[in-house]
Amino acid sequence: MSRAGTITRRLALLGAAGVAGGLVFGFYYTEPFRVNRRLGSGLQKGQHMLTPYVRIDRDGVTIITPRADLGQGAYSIQAALVAEELDIAWNDIKVDPGAPSSVYYNARVIREGLPVAATNGRLDSIAEIISDGVGRFLGLQLTGGSSTVADSCNKLRLAGAAAREVLLRAAETQTGIARDKLVTRDGAVIVPGGRALSYASLAEIAATIAVPTDVKLRDERDWRYLGKPMQRIDMVAKCTGTATFGIDIRLPGMVYATVCANPNLGGALRSYDDSLAAKARGVLKIVPVKGGVGVIADNTWRAFQAAKLIKFEWGKAPYPASSAAMFRKVKASFVPKRRDSRCKNEGDVDAALAGAKVIKAEYRVPYLAHAPLEPMNAVVQLKDGRLDIWTGTQIPAFLVKTAREMTGLAADDVHVHAQLCGGSFGRRLEDDYVRQGIELAMAYQGHPIKMTWTREEDMTHDFPRPLAVARMRGAAKDRQVDAYDLAIASPSVVASQFGRLSLSIPGPDMAIVAGAWDQPFRIPHYRVTGYRVPELVPVSSWRSVGASGNAFMHECFLDELIHAAGADPLQERRRLCSHGPSSEVLKAIGEMSDWGRDLGPNRGRGLAFTLSFGVPVAEVVEVTATPDGERRIITIDRVCVAAEVGKVLDPDNLKNQVEGAVIWALGHAMNAELTFADGKAVQTNYHQYEGMRLHQAPRIEVKALETTGLAHIRGIGEPAVPPAAPALANAIFAATGIRARRLPLISHDKIRFV
Amino acid sequence: MIRYALAILLVAGPAQVLAQDSTPGLELWGKIHEVFSHPRCANCHVGTDRVPMWSGPEYGAAPRPHGMNISGKGADDGANYLVCTTCHSKQNSATPHGPPGATSKGVAEWKLAPVEMQWFGKSSAEICKQFKAKESNGNREIAALAHHVTTEPLVLWAWTVESERKPPYSAKELGKIVEDWGMAGAPCPTK
Amino acid sequence: MRVIWVDGEPHKVDVEGDMPLLWVLRDEVGATGPKYGCGIAMCGACTVYVDDRPVRSCSLRIGDVAEGAKVTTIRGLGTPQALHAVQAAWIEHQVAQCGYCQPGQIMAAAALLHDKVAGKPPLSDADLDDHINHAMSANLCRCGTYMRIRAAIKSAAAKLQGQRP
Ligand code: FES
Ligand code: FES
Repeated sequence: MSRAGTITRRLALLGAAGVAGGLVFGFYYTEPFRVNRRLGSGLQKGQHMLTPYVRIDRDGVTIITPRADLGQGAYSIQAALVAEELDIAWNDIKVDPGAPSSVYYNARVIREGLPVAATNGRLDSIAEIISDGVGRFLGLQLTGGSSTVADSCNKLRLAGAAAREVLLRAAETQTGIARDKLVTRDGAVIVPGGRALSYASLAEIAATIAVPTDVKLRDERDWRYLGKPMQRIDMVAKCTGTATFGIDIRLPGMVYATVCANPNLGGALRSYDDSLAAKARGVLKIVPVKGGVGVIADNTWRAFQAAKLIKFEWGKAPYPASSAAMFRKVKASFVPKRRDSRCKNEGDVDAALAGAKVIKAEYRVPYLAHAPLEPMNAVVQLKDGRLDIWTGTQIPAFLVKTAREMTGLAADDVHVHAQLCGGSFGRRLEDDYVRQGIELAMAYQGHPIKMTWTREEDMTHDFPRPLAVARMRGAAKDRQVDAYDLAIASPSVVASQFGRLSLSIPGPDMAIVAGAWDQPFRIPHYRVTGYRVPELVPVSSWRSVGASGNAFMHECFLDELIHAAGADPLQERRRLCSHGPSSEVLKAIGEMSDWGRDLGPNRGRGLAFTLSFGVPVAEVVEVTATPDGERRIITIDRVCVAAEVGKVLDPDNLKNQVEGAVIWALGHAMNAELTFADGKAVQTNYHQYEGMRLHQAPRIEVKALETTGLAHIRGIGEPAVPPAAPALANAIFAATGIRARRLPLISHDKIRFV
Repeated sequence: MIRYALAILLVAGPAQVLAQDSTPGLELWGKIHEVFSHPRCANCHVGTDRVPMWSGPEYGAAPRPHGMNISGKGADDGANYLVCTTCHSKQNSATPHGPPGATSKGVAEWKLAPVEMQWFGKSSAEICKQFKAKESNGNREIAALAHHVTTEPLVLWAWTVESERKPPYSAKELGKIVEDWGMAGAPCPTK
Repeated sequence: MRVIWVDGEPHKVDVEGDMPLLWVLRDEVGATGPKYGCGIAMCGACTVYVDDRPVRSCSLRIGDVAEGAKVTTIRGLGTPQALHAVQAAWIEHQVAQCGYCQPGQIMAAAALLHDKVAGKPPLSDADLDDHINHAMSANLCRCGTYMRIRAAIKSAAAKLQGQRP
């Protein structure tokens, strides 16, 4: 057996034992939290790590929050999980993203890539154990896949509880009063009689005490923070302009830079003429970087201006030059040679369709840019053999590895300081912009260099969500959906990402069919086939990844079939649903949306359901379609969302995430696409890539279900994205009879939005 | 809500065809109309809904209402909702697709033309009629109109951009064309 | 050399007249509250006040800012210790996600309330919505916090109107 295989199996056993212990005794037996050398070496004098998530010094406790805050409130929720057990007052919470370390590996994020549906009870837990093993083996410190809450929920509470236990034992040592006579309250150990010993005062003794191997977690019923709305710890700073994002870093001696890389993505830089730019005011140095040129100056805008003066001769892109040509490649991929997966194959689709009245359709979705409002940037300094990187990132530990490969420095000499991110949506899973920063730092040593992309550079150098085409056939029988044959062709996100690490993926890429193959519907004849289109434009994870587009295709055509059957979209989905928690979600959406109530003329209601990242979500969109000549002007009035997340840790933040996910998904569905011409992205700024604006935003109502409980807790950053676009398209159909089979919806000449 | 329909009209509006009209006066008017129907001019000469347009080379073939729900309802300078000069400063932005700007009195100045001067979505004949009529042209004789287009800072501003967004001719040439058109009897097309 | 007043403090800067105010603020003065999002007045993240009027600082050349003009950034609007009513409402409604657009959103909202609500006859809910829809749609939020922005403005407006005699 291969090395990876052995390790995975051993971890699997370990994991199973851990789970059993937790279930049987109410105690969690864990291997002690190891504070590895890397974490230890980064500490200042007087600082001690009680666990990898709790640092203490004379000023008190700092909670380490290794998952990036991209806007989803990850810092707050991580802090709350630790603070709940550690017993500190909300207003005293201090957080620090900490140093990158394999200790902070993500045990959950691989889960979504495994060809095991979340609805498959027995295999699901095995898939989780495999995910844990792989994450641990790779030291995968990564924020993504809506995994933060699921991955952290036990780990961080244990970390808090273990640290609290250490502090109690430290107090016992200091006072001689027995451990079981001591309690904690708001950052202090209370001795009988009421005297409070602050955690800070116990720091030095605590540092000498071994971390216990078994601790008891608080019962859910005794939670003080979790389960209730919390004030996000970054809120005041973000509302007063005092929050520091990566782009806001200021350091002594800092210089500023920008990079212009070949917009024919992956094409070479043939030559450039920087004679004008070199003479521009403030320019310090012009440096070739991979595929482009960096301009270092004394002010960001001067760097931008000088970069405009450089004349480039770009090499061609390795992919077809236009979107139309790329879609042709996609359509040419529905062939056996390109078949990637067929993980759903129920009944006998071909036989069922043979005698039936077959409904056929072709759907497509475009490339989409992440375009977070903060453009890509990094501050990097190489000085005296030490490299420092300040940047917003979802992959801090990878950056250390990248930096070591590029500079040849030892791990101890590379320091990544993770920063608040002005949005990401998956963009910061890539390291391209940080590589550029490192290249600049190597060429211009001794100064921190803040490299900022223009918005135009950001839009034209994204790793977009891939385009996809779906071909479907289906049939109804006895007023029921009887057969559904869905084939999706798309370039592979995972292969593209792995390719950049010089790895290839061993099996199918489940992202190609995610949100389609794994849906809990018991359609008698049901088949989902994925075709992998060879790499075109390099692509990456975009909020909800494969499901983001597949849900539109799967759910709209299901709607077509239901209409062909003459059935009701909600009742038919409920009838077909084979998964308890998903049924609950469908039931809830029917109630909250007043399904069936007449909406009046020119109005319509659309439903879609998608189970992604283990979370079943149903959404109903209500629209008004005002006639305007041949066209209809669509107003999105109201959106209802029901989701099953196991356990809600912060109801208000959950709501905020769902609202954001809905606006995100609807905005892109309305009007956004990234197209290519002459090998370059056409859309260079927000005037051509609009998304939703405030006046278009609907009322959004959210209901979170907790039927599966804490053991099945899931994250909500992404799962509300996939069903929004199909619910909108289905609503437009209900209101107008127009079936839009392409995104964005404004590509249909009869559809416009207010 | 009829803006999209109007937008189509504009695209279809064949200013060039009119310019080839055989009557000399009408030919001159055709040139004037070329300027007036140019996106740089027409985008802010809009009708009663008071929503400026986005059209022109940077917006592809299809004109559309100014994004971001911008509206000049209640005040031509946007002050009822969001004053135009929040974004449109004294000068044209140097960045492609950046906001154009203008000034004549030392402060940023940006506003819709009065509604009686609507050009966007109107036919050449309609524009011509209202350009001539004193009640809709600021009470001007033809000579005053020629003077206006050669001296009014906001008109002159139209030519202060790089070539692809610039209207045809020049302000001076336009003034001369207006004069000549007046001499030719200031005829208007019938449709 | 020119002097620019930012949040009540004078700063000497040596910049060319066509540098946008945004970059003078961020890179020369060190006022990083206003953000760079698009550079072309399409997102509103860079919104500051010049002499109490909101402007997109990315699209305003420093040479077009009068000598002695008063520039106010989000940090001059209120501080964590002394919040502006709009900031307080933002916190009450937990508006921000990534927060990158919020300095601009808050500056725009405070200007709207100043112009249309403070000291004015009370607006109906529909009229307030109308103003919010028109005045706030030029501020882009990629995270989609619009519902909360609307709610926060309404609650700040209610407080402002309630305070009037
Ligand atoms: S950066 Fe100024 S409006 Fe976007
Ligand atoms: S909160 Fe992230 S862009 Fe608005």
